[in-house]
Amino acid sequence: MTTTLTPPKSTIPPSTHPHADVIHRLEAGGSMLPDTPENLMQIIGIYKAYAVPMDFYWRDLLYIAERVFLDPLPAFKYFLPQEYLDLHNHYAGETADLRIWRGEATAHPELLAFMDKGEVKRKLPKLLHHLWHDRINMEFAEACMKAMLWHQDMGGRFNDFLYTDEYTANCDRAIKAYFKHNPLMLGLHKLFPDMFYEKCRELSYYANLGLFWEVMAPVFFEMSDIYDEGGFKGVPDAMDFLVNGIFAIAGRPIYHHVYIGGECYELIPKAKAFTWLYEAALPYVEAVFYRTAPFRGTKSYNAQAGQVPEDQRDFHYGILYADVFPVGSAGIPPTLLMQDMLHFLPPYLQEYYQQYCRGEDDVLIQLGITFQRSMYNVTSAVIQALRTALLYPLDDTNPRHLMANRQFFEAQMDRFLRPEARLRDIQGQDYR
Amino acid sequence: MPTIVDIAVNTEGFSTLVAAVQAAGLVETLQGDGPFTVFAPNDDAFAKLPPGTVQTLVQNPPQLARILTYHVAAGKYTQDDLIKLGQVESVEGAPIPIDGTEGFEVKNATVLAADIEADNGIIHVLDNVILMG
Repeated sequence: MTTTLTPPKSTIPPSTHPHADVIHRLEAGGSMLPDTPENLMQIIGIYKAYAVPMDFYWRDLLYIAERVFLDPLPAFKYFLPQEYLDLHNHYAGETADLRIWRGEATAHPELLAFMDKGEVKRKLPKLLHHLWHDRINMEFAEACMKAMLWHQDMGGRFNDFLYTDEYTANCDRAIKAYFKHNPLMLGLHKLFPDMFYEKCRELSYYANLGLFWEVMAPVFFEMSDIYDEGGFKGVPDAMDFLVNGIFAIAGRPIYHHVYIGGECYELIPKAKAFTWLYEAALPYVEAVFYRTAPFRGTKSYNAQAGQVPEDQRDFHYGILYADVFPVGSAGIPPTLLMQDMLHFLPPYLQEYYQQYCRGEDDVLIQLGITFQRSMYNVTSAVIQALRTALLYPLDDTNPRHLMANRQFFEAQMDRFLRPEARLRDIQGQDYR
Repeated sequence: MPTIVDIAVNTEGFSTLVAAVQAAGLVETLQGDGPFTVFAPNDDAFAKLPPGTVQTLVQNPPQLARILTYHVAAGKYTQDDLIKLGQVESVEGAPIPIDGTEGFEVKNATVLAADIEADNGIIHVLDNVILMG
């Protein structure tokens, strides 16, 4: 069963945009992803498979930002201490500030089971699992963080604050406390003061992304539970759940606290009034879904021939543009994520992949394309949320308002006019 | 003449705004000399926000204050002043676009009642909560 979208009685002429079909669907309250039961099943299944490793990512990102901090040899930064596995998610469980997922606030049971025995299903010393790479691929999370750090200028005020005297003074206090007993590092700080400030900026992006994903993991778990109960009638329902989630959490503070010797150093205090929507979610979508950077070893680009855009704003190497096949190579960040998701696929999605293409042999590619579909739906939710926040209701009766909505949707779709965009591919089911 | 806060407290339909201003610790500021131009969303405007939105903001006063200060401009601007200007800078720092093509619109909100005079400024009542961006 699919949701029936009733197009509003339009008082404005149809769009002439090359993606007019998608624009009219958005104007009717739909998603960029067509509303089919197959799409709904795929995106919800992959949200669940994404949420489990994400439950590790956000905890470890915060652990690195708050505790590992400037450790010159952070060899064990991926070894999450019990304290961070038990850390209560602010949006799940009974202690939640706002309960989005009805499950527990501590680490997800499937994550704990995987961390215990890994893919080999044997309880071995942690270090062996780590060296065998039988673990959550935290490098993927760090690649997302680096994309945000590198692109920087993506709206919000977070990045500007990292270059203020207030921020460097906060960093200075923490750096001096952290290296209190390390004269060598303190000497380095004196000689090259920008070095540790820059490292702090990177760590602030660890905190930013950790706090962003702390919200998304329970959102995706709850969507999976609702679907299992038969709660979503179609793709637009799933998108609307995301839109409501974006609003509900929009005001969540984004901050960076560091704990040194039992004391809290606030590099970015909550009082700076940075919010989840403006300083984390929107920059994340821009940096990771749209821009990122070419992945090393996937393809050669000739910058002199203009194959790499001069302006970072034109970068188009994110999931919405990705050719999933070449990134299916070992060690490439999206492949690391695919590998992570593979461990937590719900049974219905495992069966589904067996039926198509090469079954198990190319399951990483198939689930990568499912992931791409699911992220087009998340991006649709962001677009609809922005339209709700900044523009007009879809059933507005004023043609001038409807035209403003139209121009907004068209401007968003302009970003998918370049040939690399996968918007046309995801319109059919044969793209796998 | 009553202050902006006095008017909001004593007028029906602004209980959410008053509670939000109190939670954000902005009462004293808005009772100050100003003058301020306040774009005041009514209770129905807040009720349009999806569930949880206001709850999260009320739990986090600095973030709530940031959204609320987007509804305030320094100076006293009447409807005519604002339409002439086309845009005014909010106390939050982001600009608020004004449109007078059909009636009086502030960003994506319609002004339900304009030019309510207060001792320390002026109030325009909105049918939507406006957001930066």
